[in-house]
Amino acid sequence: MMNGNAIVSYAPLEVRGVTKLFGDFRAVDDVSFSLPAGSIYGFLGPNGAGKTTTIRMILEIIKPTSGSITVLGESSALKVRQRIGYLPEEKGLYKKMKCWAIIAYFATLKGLSKKAARQRAYELLERYGLKDFANSPTEALSKGMGQKVQVLASIAHDPEFVILDEPFSGLDPVNQQVMEDIIRDMAKRGRTVLFSTHVMQHAERLCDRILLLAKGRKIFDGTIGEAKQTIPRRVRIETEDDIAALRELSDVVAVRQLETTNSVLSPTTAAHWELELRDHADPQAILQTCFARGIRLRSFNQSEPTLHEVFMRLVGSEAKEAAFR
Amino acid sequence: MKYVFLIAWREYAENAKTKGFWIGILLVPLIIFGSIQIPIWLQKKGTPTRYYVLVDQSETLAPIIESRLERAQQRRVFDALNDYARKNTTSDAGTNRFTPPSFEQFTSPGGEAAYLEKLQPHLKPGVPAFKSPRPDFQRAPIPSGLRADSDIETIVERLRPYLRGEKRIEVDGQSVSLSAAILIPGDIEKKIVRPQDRNARAAKNANGIEYWSGNLADTQLREEVERAVNGEIRQREYLLRGLDATAVREVEQTYAPIASLNPKKEAGQEAVKNVDIIKQWAPSAFVYLLWVSIFAIAQMLLTNIIEEKSNRIIEVLLSSVTPGELMMGKLFGIAAVGLTMVGSWILATVTILTWKAGAATAMAGQLLVVLHSSSLIPMFGVYFVFGYLIYAASILALGSVCNTLKEAQSYMGVITMMMMVPLMTMTFIPKDPNGPLARILSWIPIYTPFIMMNRVMADPPWFDLIGTTILLIVTAAGALWMAGKVFRIGILRTGQPPKLLEMLRWLRRKN
Repeated sequence: MMNGNAIVSYAPLEVRGVTKLFGDFRAVDDVSFSLPAGSIYGFLGPNGAGKTTTIRMILEIIKPTSGSITVLGESSALKVRQRIGYLPEEKGLYKKMKCWAIIAYFATLKGLSKKAARQRAYELLERYGLKDFANSPTEALSKGMGQKVQVLASIAHDPEFVILDEPFSGLDPVNQQVMEDIIRDMAKRGRTVLFSTHVMQHAERLCDRILLLAKGRKIFDGTIGEAKQTIPRRVRIETEDDIAALRELSDVVAVRQLETTNSVLSPTTAAHWELELRDHADPQAILQTCFARGIRLRSFNQSEPTLHEVFMRLVGSEAKEAAFR
Repeated sequence: MKYVFLIAWREYAENAKTKGFWIGILLVPLIIFGSIQIPIWLQKKGTPTRYYVLVDQSETLAPIIESRLERAQQRRVFDALNDYARKNTTSDAGTNRFTPPSFEQFTSPGGEAAYLEKLQPHLKPGVPAFKSPRPDFQRAPIPSGLRADSDIETIVERLRPYLRGEKRIEVDGQSVSLSAAILIPGDIEKKIVRPQDRNARAAKNANGIEYWSGNLADTQLREEVERAVNGEIRQREYLLRGLDATAVREVEQTYAPIASLNPKKEAGQEAVKNVDIIKQWAPSAFVYLLWVSIFAIAQMLLTNIIEEKSNRIIEVLLSSVTPGELMMGKLFGIAAVGLTMVGSWILATVTILTWKAGAATAMAGQLLVVLHSSSLIPMFGVYFVFGYLIYAASILALGSVCNTLKEAQSYMGVITMMMMVPLMTMTFIPKDPNGPLARILSWIPIYTPFIMMNRVMADPPWFDLIGTTILLIVTAAGALWMAGKVFRIGILRTGQPPKLLEMLRWLRRKN
């Protein structure tokens, strides 16, 4: 996706060994990663994983206890604040301000002239379907619309690097799609986007790379494909026959019987099995073995794991723990 | 600095759009204008000419009463003419050159007509002709068929329906309502109360002159009659006893000129006295103004910062500006709102006073003199700025650590209590403006602006004036520095407000 017109030679963001302590509590623990320019980077992790704290440190709203952060080639985000856009996790707007005015205000705080900011505000409101609300006070907007206004306010100055904290929360499916479009539009024009979410589908659809945090520590950093390889490949089969022969295969690590849902219309005695395979094993070999051993298959499913499964497997236990803390 | 300005400007613009701001700006001038204009208006329109019947059976007192009332009327004409001259002449240098300097000189060479004749060449083109004010009181003839020498009781009976408003009386072809009747019996001589008389007690209870009126609240006519009659009776008494009336009057006007060191007093003793009273009283008004404005905008600042914090807008702002810039922006923005309000109050007051100052509102003119000649307004500016900074700094720090207004209110209560002290001492500081209490309180920086404002007209020692100001400025700077430290950490905090000890620890932190 590096086909934009603002490709920079340095990484927009480099985080090296960053730790943040709140009293005795380690909110972020020795996290390092870097963003390639023009990429869409997903910041994943359960609640309380340290995503927002990391983002605040990137923006220099708070300072790390140790470690260093380089943003757009500078050691301090404040020096390049005009080139960064930020949408915080908890959204709020000035209630009495008009939509265009609030977008323009934030744009002027990012260095745009008053006139340019105003023009840009109207342009964005029109492009993303809020033209009719340009002169309404923000308190008259629905929650979703308000959030859209806030997103527009955070990107009104056309930043090189945008950080969106939970941009999808609170949006209906249509507006989630609009949000995805906004992110893709920016990436197409060579902007770098970092967003945090715990909805895996968005990350899966949008991200070039993801960073997985749990309990303040980095669990995974890499492409989606790499993430999926962290869990073993699996094959699901449905058969009435005995599958003992398959258990003996060296490629098969484990066999689990799945719960069958028998429907009244098509009663079946067939069982569902999930075979976990060794890394780099070829699912086709399983299929061949079935033919050779006379195991009659009703279905054979060689599905890729979803990011959701990756997430649950990598941080499932921590996430539960965090939820009950 | 650019960002500080942007934030301040937004604060200002948003506040200037609220109704409360405009109500606040307009209300004070309206009240001042009203308090000056309504009495004038009432005097002009509200109290029409009142008609009275005067029956003087002694045949000696009526001309005295009438001449006194005429003199009062002439004084009002003179005042009105002076106002007219001031407003409608081309001269910038003042109207003194062609108007009579005193009332006495106005009445002797021809009154209104002579005055207007002299004024004529100096009038601006196209000004309306002078309209002399309506007389307050006008004598009505006794109703036809009633004889002035009838029994007093008979006269009263005949006049009763007129006084009750049941019948109207004819004056110059107009039928008007009768508001009072003054009945002087022929034997008034016998009813005069003399302290040396044995029968004085009995005489006191007898009716002398009868003043009949349905309106008990309007005592003006009764007082004029009383003064005129008693003046005349005393004159006669002097003659009767063989005293030289002129000598008595001279004696009565003899006095030891206690306050005559002040050369201003020669011009008009009463006026100068009023100015002195105003001078003593004006600082208290300014203390109150100072208190109200600082308190009001401190509240504004608190709600503002809490709203932003609970809205989480603060975080977006902090990705664009530093906490220091944000804090200063708010501080200046809200200060500008407050200054606009207070400034417009003072400006409106001075404008209204200038506009309305004249004979009818001598008070307004004197107030204006005090405001112009003293350092009240510039001192107010200085004390407002630094007083505001100290209180605003505490409020900003408080607002930054609280999450809801409710949470902040309880802490705000403490600040409010501390702020009550200058209000309580406000009335008795002027009585002893350089006394120990005033001096001690002046040196407590949070009270310096109020107490020093209170003392400013009493020529406080230079040591107090300069020393407290330096201390005030240093304290304001320190308060801002501490507020900056607390604000930086507090503003992103959620959950329980921190303990005082914890906040003190924040002060030691770097960044």
